[in-house]
Formats: sequence, structure tokens, C-alpha cells
Amino acid sequence: MAGEKSQDNPFVVAQAQITDCADILKLNQSMREMLLHPMREFHVNFPVRMDDGSARIFTGFRVQYNDARGPAKGGIRFHPDETIDTVRALAAWMTWKCSLLDLPLGGAKGGVICNPKELSPGELERLSRSYIRAISPFIGPEKDVPAPDVYTNPQIMAWMADEYSSIVAKNQFGVITGKPLPLGGSPGREDATARGGMYTLREAAAKLGLDLGKATMAIQGYGNAGSFAASLAESMFGSKIVAVCDSKGAVTCREGVCVPRVAAHKRTTQSVLHCEGTTDITNDELLEMDVDILVLAALEGTLTKKNADRVKAKVIVELANGPTTPEADEILYKKGIHVIPDFLCNAGGVTVSYFEMVQNAYMYYWDEEMVHERLEKKMTKAYHEVFEISKQYGINMRRAAYVVAVQRVVEAMRLRGWV
Amino acid sequence: MKDERLSCGIPALDEVIDGLRLGDNVVWQMDKLDNYLRVAEPFIRHALRSGRTVVGLQFAPHPIVLGFLPGMVVEEVDPRFGFDSFSAQVNRIIEQKGREVFYVFDNLSSLVADWATDELLANFFRVTCPYLHELDTVAYFALRRGQHSHTAVARIRDTTQVLIDLYHVKDELYIHPLKVLGRYSSQMYLPHRYANGILEPVFKSGDASTISLTASRTPLRVKTDSIAPWDSVYRKLAQFHEDDLEILEKTSEIQALKQELSHMIIGNHPEFKRLSEEYLTLGDLLTIRNRLIGSGRIGGKAAGMLLARSILLKTPGSVEFSRILEEHDSFYIGSDVFFTFLVNNDLFRLRLRLTRSSQIQREEFERVEERFLAGTFPHEIMEQFRDLLDYFGQAPIIVRSSSLLEDGFGNSFAGKYRSEFCANQGSHEERMEAFLRAVKLVYASAVNPDALSYRKQRGLGESDEQMAILVQRVSGTRYKSFFFPSLSGVAFSHNIYRWTDRIDPGQGIIRLVFGLGTRAVNRVGNDYPRLIPVSHPHLRPEVGADIAFYSQREIDVLSLPQNAFQSLSIADVLEDTHYPNLFLFLSTLDNGYVNDPVTAHLPSLKNCVVTFNNFIRQTPFVKIMKEILERLESAYGHPVDMEFTASVDAALNVRINIVQCRPMRVPGAMESVQVPDDLPRSSVLFRTNRNIPGGVVENIRHIVYVDPLSYARKAPPEIRQVMGRIIGELNRNPEIGRYPLMMMGPGRWGSSNIHLGVNTTYSDINNASVLVEIAREEAGHVPDVSYGTHFFLDLVESQTIYLPLYPDDPHTDFNGDFFARAPNILSEFLEEAVEFEEFLKVIDVPAVTGGSCAKVVADPHTGKAVCFLWAAQS
Repeated sequence: MAGEKSQDNPFVVAQAQITDCADILKLNQSMREMLLHPMREFHVNFPVRMDDGSARIFTGFRVQYNDARGPAKGGIRFHPDETIDTVRALAAWMTWKCSLLDLPLGGAKGGVICNPKELSPGELERLSRSYIRAISPFIGPEKDVPAPDVYTNPQIMAWMADEYSSIVAKNQFGVITGKPLPLGGSPGREDATARGGMYTLREAAAKLGLDLGKATMAIQGYGNAGSFAASLAESMFGSKIVAVCDSKGAVTCREGVCVPRVAAHKRTTQSVLHCEGTTDITNDELLEMDVDILVLAALEGTLTKKNADRVKAKVIVELANGPTTPEADEILYKKGIHVIPDFLCNAGGVTVSYFEMVQNAYMYYWDEEMVHERLEKKMTKAYHEVFEISKQYGINMRRAAYVVAVQRVVEAMRLRGWV
Repeated sequence: MKDERLSCGIPALDEVIDGLRLGDNVVWQMDKLDNYLRVAEPFIRHALRSGRTVVGLQFAPHPIVLGFLPGMVVEEVDPRFGFDSFSAQVNRIIEQKGREVFYVFDNLSSLVADWATDELLANFFRVTCPYLHELDTVAYFALRRGQHSHTAVARIRDTTQVLIDLYHVKDELYIHPLKVLGRYSSQMYLPHRYANGILEPVFKSGDASTISLTASRTPLRVKTDSIAPWDSVYRKLAQFHEDDLEILEKTSEIQALKQELSHMIIGNHPEFKRLSEEYLTLGDLLTIRNRLIGSGRIGGKAAGMLLARSILLKTPGSVEFSRILEEHDSFYIGSDVFFTFLVNNDLFRLRLRLTRSSQIQREEFERVEERFLAGTFPHEIMEQFRDLLDYFGQAPIIVRSSSLLEDGFGNSFAGKYRSEFCANQGSHEERMEAFLRAVKLVYASAVNPDALSYRKQRGLGESDEQMAILVQRVSGTRYKSFFFPSLSGVAFSHNIYRWTDRIDPGQGIIRLVFGLGTRAVNRVGNDYPRLIPVSHPHLRPEVGADIAFYSQREIDVLSLPQNAFQSLSIADVLEDTHYPNLFLFLSTLDNGYVNDPVTAHLPSLKNCVVTFNNFIRQTPFVKIMKEILERLESAYGHPVDMEFTASVDAALNVRINIVQCRPMRVPGAMESVQVPDDLPRSSVLFRTNRNIPGGVVENIRHIVYVDPLSYARKAPPEIRQVMGRIIGELNRNPEIGRYPLMMMGPGRWGSSNIHLGVNTTYSDINNASVLVEIAREEAGHVPDVSYGTHFFLDLVESQTIYLPLYPDDPHTDFNGDFFARAPNILSEFLEEAVEFEEFLKVIDVPAVTGGSCAKVVADPHTGKAVCFLWAAQS
């Protein structure tokens, strides 16, 4: 966007990260060029019949950033402020995330400029179908497989899968993931992000010699990922959750907050504040608590150069996207705080999406236990690969994760003879 | 000296009645008003000669009965404003004049022309006389003989100290004392012939019987032909057969009677009068009268309900409302019963005192409420109450205030007066006790703190307030041990709450709930009704899992075993999925998205969310409501709001019961205003396009601004908790109050939840001319001024312009720089509020702009509003 500050443009940030990584890996110019730009972008304008009979034209995007390792994978966002640069950046990050988890997939993202609050369910359905019609030549189970993202949900995925199936005149559920269970969805999707993060935490604790059964945990953000993280940390490890927060404020209890009670309180009041048996504190106080583990499950830019120095946790679990700024990363690294970076930590979601593709292709569906088992393997392996690179290069975990991910993409491009 | 013997100015009469005493009220009951002068004039002259103050109370604008005599003071009081205001005025005059003053009141009988009933006439006498007596005054009253009910005359007789008949027989004037308290002589109660200043007792039995027979045609206490319109109009109409009335309705005689009946039952507000004339037949009015307990008017709420029903049934359209509207069988407790209750239980002057002082502490009100609860009703009213309870049996009923000022044009009194549910279970005695308690609580609510301050604020002071009551059958059915309607809600023909421009404000909005409608009318904690914009019923302002939060989780019901109103969780009330047609009301939340049931089979209540999605989609409910709102708005000539209940049967047919209908109020004005669109961008502070209320506010000097982002992100709970109080102090600051004030802040003003917005009460913002609710999505704020809440209606009443501002909306302008850079002068007003400066700013607009003030122009028709800088006018 003209005049936009570079640090506010997510694609500029994404490109800077690639450059940093390319320097470490000493990539040649053609490799850099390939990685710094999306391979394909589709800008589509498509009509939607509104309830009042009029037709309205919507604009959408689909960016396939890099598909060297396999069909592209990435969500579809319905947002009034959608921009192509946001979609580009998110598509790039999907590329690294899939690669990092060693999924045979590339990275993509899509979006439609629209406000779902202004659309009736019928209009939303027609918009979803129209968008799929517009991008149908470019997607498919072997080309590009979309999934839910901001303001899209399993119902919308079901409409899209149906529309695509009509276009190709055969059932093609594998064209989309995140579908409802009765229509080829995968079990284990709901808590996949938090569960994947917990597997990486378990591995990190083992490396650091941290006894999770005695560990204390503060959780910043109490949406889907944060609340599942709280209950999983309790049930899987017996960790004590001593503080949780959401956008409205934080609560703490030294003896451990009652996770089901906080969840119920949040459901009825939309906030964790004033939950019985806890004391209200500020969000800043939560971040600076003397705990073993700090889970960041809210928004980007939570830890900055202003507050990173005051963090006392031993491990930071980044379930949110981009919760730590690069400056804060450096401070934490110097302080010896172990950060499990976002695109490793929160890759459980895309991994289960991949499992959904596999199940759709095989027409054979797993039970939840099987999903958990395979997710655990993927997450554990990825964690150790990142940890090793971090040690090998003497770099922080985030940069190490980039190195692992980019290395694989570059290797695939080279094997395919692109660079 | 109480025992001092005073003269009435006619020595012979003094002789007969042993003179007057201080504290005497003297009622002259006469067949010709001219004779009043013959007794009043000597009284006045003698009193003036004796150096007394004599006050003539003249009931304007009736022809003067009482001539003016030099030396006497004449006070005019106008009975056309109603019993309440008239009695209060008289009371005030008496209070001001003080002790031992002599009064000559105008013809009491003329009052019934304005008040319609003898009941009120007697009530006036019974509140006025004791006060006069207390002040040791002597007061003369005139009353026409044989023109009032015996009950009314008996009450007057019981109250007054002296009652004297004055009549002609064969051109001779007779004076016949009927009651002279504390005095006695052997000839006192004989008729006396009065001529040439001499009173001659009639001893001879033959003469006496001739005189008495001529004077009193109905001497015993049977129903007389009262001149009070309440009785006379009905009596005249009763002469016609029902079928004839229909044929004769257009004749001028019947038309006149109908108008008078309407005036007595519905009231005299021009708009109500017009609607009544147009939509209520004589038969309708007679039906109302047949279901009316006592006499008087039925009040605004009852009138609104009845008119709405008639409008829908009598205007043509695509919906056949006779098949849609449920029958109603309400009763009305006439407004006269309220005054009789006050007078009988010695509460009238207490209420007058409270109304005058316009304030009452909560504790005092509790004591007053106890006094109301201890009050009793006259025998004949109790008999009718028994009939009412027998009629309803054990069906739950609701006792609703229906005052004259309430729900009419101009004032709403919404939420100020009480409504009480009666589950109506138990023995007849228990049910009667609960019913009486409900009625008395509604009566007591006339002097509750909110009502008093509202009256004061609206300048209603001592204006006539006739508190009628509407007794309605509660709509619904029994389910398990509860009683509730499937659906209830409130609908507005004009929609102020538009979260997208797609929504047509002219088509209105519905707030729908499961169970009793109390939840739709009030904002209850974190529980939300379904908002249905009529133009786009499927749109909602939430997406994904937020839908579950912004939904209804509790239900209001009548618990039959508890015999009480309760708010319970829906799951606790339903227990399972057997409630009829539940698939129309519920959806499930699966993986963060809402799924509507495909079939009527709902496996369990787990993860269920009240959405009404299938109800909206599969039934004609919205289409019916659209037509209802259109027809009512068209008939009223004004936007309306209405409360309703609804039910749906197995074939998905919808039936509606209209519980209430009233002219809708929107903040600010409704007239078109030209919003300037050629303003230099630098002068615009904000521009929004989603308002409905309109108006122009110039010369805004101060802006109280709560920064949405810092409030959302940084303000700790302790700051948020007291933010409202600090704003309240600014609101009351006299310097700030010298100029129009604008307040701006995040989310919902008036919310008690500090996360939804600034926790002000109405009294914290009541001096603001413009109130702006800023909705920043990232801060999690959605300004949902909930219709029907008291806070909202208070804004409406005070003509505050309410503007929702969506800075993230591309069609909205918001000059963030101005608000960020303007110096904060908060500390100039509140030195101690330094810790609030980060979140709360007071901007002195002319100081920032070099002399320009802010001006707001809002057009309700285009929905556009702009706030811009403009050279201040003096």
C-alpha cells in the first residue's frame, strides 16, 4: 500500500525473515529470488447474487507461494480489510510451516474482501461457491488445497468442496480441508494446534530438564488454543496453571486456577476476569510472572523490546502467530529463555489438515487416537530437528526453524531443477 | 378557638344550626345554582366585615357562579387538566393561604363534566375537606341536588361537617340542614322556609310531606341518574339494542356519545383520540367498559394494546390478522380506583408531598410501599376483583401499570412504573392476596424514586397522572412445572441499530427471546436476545463462536410450584429436547461454527445455542412482523414499538399476541436536516452514516473523550470501575454545563459491565447533548444501544443525540489526530483525576481551534451525521 510503513506491511516482514535465513544458508541469488516472491497469484473478481436480487462483485485472491514440495496448502480468509500483501505473507509462512513439519506440501493463502457480518447465510454460501468457481482452475487435491481461516468455518468448507465437486463432476472432498466430520473432516482437529504445541513443550522440557509435573504455567490468551493448552497441560503433564488472561485482563491463583471453572466463566462473561477463586491482575503482570512456562496464545507483538527483559519464564510456547518481535527474540535468547517458535509450535493445525487430505485420498478414516499418535510423531520430530540446528548454528530456535524449513524447500527446488 | 361561634351571615340560619365553627366545611346541596349566591354572599360579606380573608375558588372556565365581591381574593383553578393536578393546585392554594381563612368554592358538580365520574368528585372533596378542617378554615361548597350518585353524595356527607339542602317548592325557597356536626337543636333538621331573612320551620306533617316529596324523588340510597358523563353516556347508549347501535353508529347523536365514551375511557390526547375514532367502534368501547373495574380511563398501555389490535384487524393488507392474532381477554382497573385507593387509605397527600419534593430515598420508599400494601379497596371494587380472579381461574396473569402518561405520545415512563406477574396458583384467598399485593405495588410505584425524578426532569410536576392497570392473561403454555410463551419480544418499526448499511432502518428490528419477554425489554447481564433486522432477517452482527456468546442462555418463566417469576438456565428448564418445535429455536455450535438442525430431531441440548435460525427461515414470522410494523406505523403516523408473544404450531403456523404498542421514541429529532458534505476535511472531527436520530447541536465547547484503544488495552479494572463516576463529576461541573457538551467513548455507555463500555448511569451523562459510542473492532467494542432499556429511553426522552461511530468503516471519517493531539484539560476540573488522564480527556474545543466550537448535524433520514468545527455563535 502506498505510503505504508514497511514494518506494518506483513509481506515486507516476511521477506526480511527469508533474507536473514538465506544469509545463514548462504543461498545463491536465484534461490533467493524464488523464495522472496510468490510463484503464482490469482486476483479474481466474481459476482454474487444478493438476497435482494442484485449482483455484487467481490474481489478475492489466491497466492501459491511455493509448491516445490507438493500441492500448496493454506487457508481462506473472509475479511473486509484483506490485502494482497497480507495474503502473500501468510502464504509464505504456510510454505515454511509445511516444510518444517516435513509435510509433502507447499504454501498458499487465499482471501476475499468481504464482511461476513453484512452477509446473510444464503449470501455467504453463494459467495463461497462463487469464489471457488473463480479459483477452481488453480486448485485441486494435487494442486492447492484450501482450509478455513479468519471468518471461514467447516460449513463454508463443505459448500466449497461441494461446489468444486460439481465443477469436476466427481466427489472431490480432498480439495479442501477443515470440513465437517460427516463430510470427510478429520477427528482431532479441534485441539490440534494446542496439542501439537504441548508435544513440542514436552520435548523442550526434556531437553531443559524441566519437570512438567511440577512446572507452573501462565497462559496469555484464552481463545481456542489457549483454553485447550490449559486443559491439555493439566491432563497430559499435571502442570499447574497459575494465571490466564484474555484481551480484557488476567487472573491468577498461586495454587493453580481451576481450568474448567475459568472456561465456564469465560463462556458466560466472555472474559476470564473476576473468576471465582482467582485474583485479577493486568496482562503485563502475567507476562512478567515468575513461572516455568509462558504460553503466548493471543495476538502478534505481545513480547517486545520493552517488556522482554522482564520475562522470567524458562520456556515460551508460541501458540499464537508472531507473538514475539525480532528485537524481543534476541533479548530472550540472550537471557537463555527457550522459545518454541510459532510456526513450529502451532503447526499442529496444518498437520491434521494434511492428515485429512491423506484420509480423503485413501477414503479410509482414522480414529482420534490415531490422529494424536501421528501428530505426536510429526511434532516431536520437527522439534528435535529445529533444536539440533539451533545448537549447530548457535542461533535461536526461530531462526533455526527457518533454516530447517527453507533448506527443505530449496532442496526440493534444486531437485526439480528450478534453481 | 375551635369552639368560637361564627356567623354564616344569615342570623336566622345561625340560629337554626347554632352558627358555624372554625374547621367547618359547609356543603350546599341545591336545585338551582342561583341560590348559592343567596347563601354565599351574606357569608362572604360578613366574613369580610369581620376582617377575615375570604378566598373564592373559581373553577375556570365554567360560567361564573360566584360573583366577585370587593375585598375577596379569587383564585382560578382549571379542572380540565384532571383530578390529580386540580387537587394538587387546590391543596397548594390552601397551604399558601394558611389558617383560619374563609373559602367559597365554585360549583362542585361542574367538575364531573371534565372528570366524567362522581367518584373523582367525591375523592376531591375527601382530600380537600380534611385539610381545610385541619387549618381551621370555613369553606362553602355548592353541589347540584339529585345529579350525583348516592355513593358519591354519601361520601361527601360523611366527610363534611355541615350539609344543607337548598331547594324550591312552589316558588318558595327551603333550607333543610341534613348534617351539622357537633351541634343540635330540636328544629335543626327540619326543612325551613326562607323568606325575607327569616327561616320558618315546617312542622305540619302535611306540608312537610308535600315539600319533601317534591324535593326528593328518590330518597333512599338506590342508584340515581347521575349527571356524570360516565353514567349518563352509558345510560343513553344502553337504551339502544346492540344491533341498532351498529346501524346507528354513524348518526350524529351516537357519534357524539361514542366520542364522549372514548374521551372517558381512552383519554383526550389528540393522537389517541384520532386513532380511537378511526379504529375503535362503539362496540369495542362498550366491550372495554364491560371489562373495566371501577371507573375512569384505562391508561396508555392498555389503549395502545387495544388500538394496535384494532388497527391490524381493520386495515387491509396481505396478511389476514384475524387468523394470526391471538384473542385477548384483558381487564382494566380504571384510573379512578387509584385515586379512591389513595384517598381511602390516607395516601393522597403523602403522594402529593412526594411528587412535589420530586425525590424519595430508597429507605423512605420502602416505608411508603408498606403503607400502600396496608391499604384496602372499597367493597364494590373487591367484588369486581373477585369476579376477575374467578374469570382467570388459575391461569397466570400479569398486573401492568397503565398510567395516562405512560406509553402515550410524548412521555414513556418506560420501566418507571411496575408490572407484576401473578403465577395465580393456590386457593382463592391466596390468589387474591397475591393479586391485591401486585395491584398495590403497581400503585406504590407511582412514587418510586425513578418515577419521581423522571417527572421532575420532564417538568411533569403535579400534572395529572391517572394510574390505571391492565390485567392480562400471560401468554404461553405450561411446560413441566413452568409457564412461559415459546417466544416473546419487542419490535420497533424503525431500526436504529444498523451494523451495516445494507440494513434498511425503515423496516424495523425485532428483539426475540425464548420464554417471557422481560429478557427482550431489558438488558440482562451477559445474555442476549436475537436481533432480527426486518429488511435482512438472516444478518447478524456476530460471526463464528461469538454467536454463542451473543445469545440467550437463560429464560424467564413463571414457576408454578414456587408461584413466582424466575430466571433460570434454559437447560434447567427444558432438561431434554422434548419441548415442541425446539429445532426451530436452537442450533448447535460445532467446531466454532453454528449448525442449524436439518431435521426436527435434536439429539441433546449439548452445545446448543439459541439462534431462532430455523424459525426465521422456515416460518412466516418475519413477514408477519414486517406487515404488523408497517400497518401500525402507517396508522400511528409515527414509528412504533410493540411488545409481543408468539407461538408456532406443528404445521409451522405462527400466532402473535400483541401485548403492548406505543409510539416509538428515537433520540434527537426525526425531522430532516441538511448534512453539509462540502466541508473542508480538516474541519471534520468525524462523519458517520449509521445514525437514525437526528438534530443539530451547535456551540459544543467541551468534549469528554474516553480513548477507546487505551481504555481497551491499558485501563486497569480499578480505573474502569470509577471512570463513570469521574465522568459524572464532569457532567455536573457548572462550567462545563454552560455550553453544549459532547461525550465520546468506547462501546456501550451505560453498561454496568466495564468490558462492554463506560460504566456510567444516566445521571452521569444527562447533561450531554451528544453521546458518541465508538466501536473499534480490535478493541472488542460493539455499540449496541439496546432498545427498550431504561438507559436508552432516558437518552431518547432527554433528546440526546446518540451516534454510533465505526472508525474502522471505510465510509466513516474519524479525525483521530485531533483527539490525540488536543491538550487534556481534565485536571482543570478535577485535580485529583490525574491517573485518568491517559484514558480520559477533556477537550476545550475553542482553545484548540482558536475560537471554533464543534457542531453536530445529524439527519435521521439519510442516516448521515457530521461533527465539524465551526465559528462559535454568541
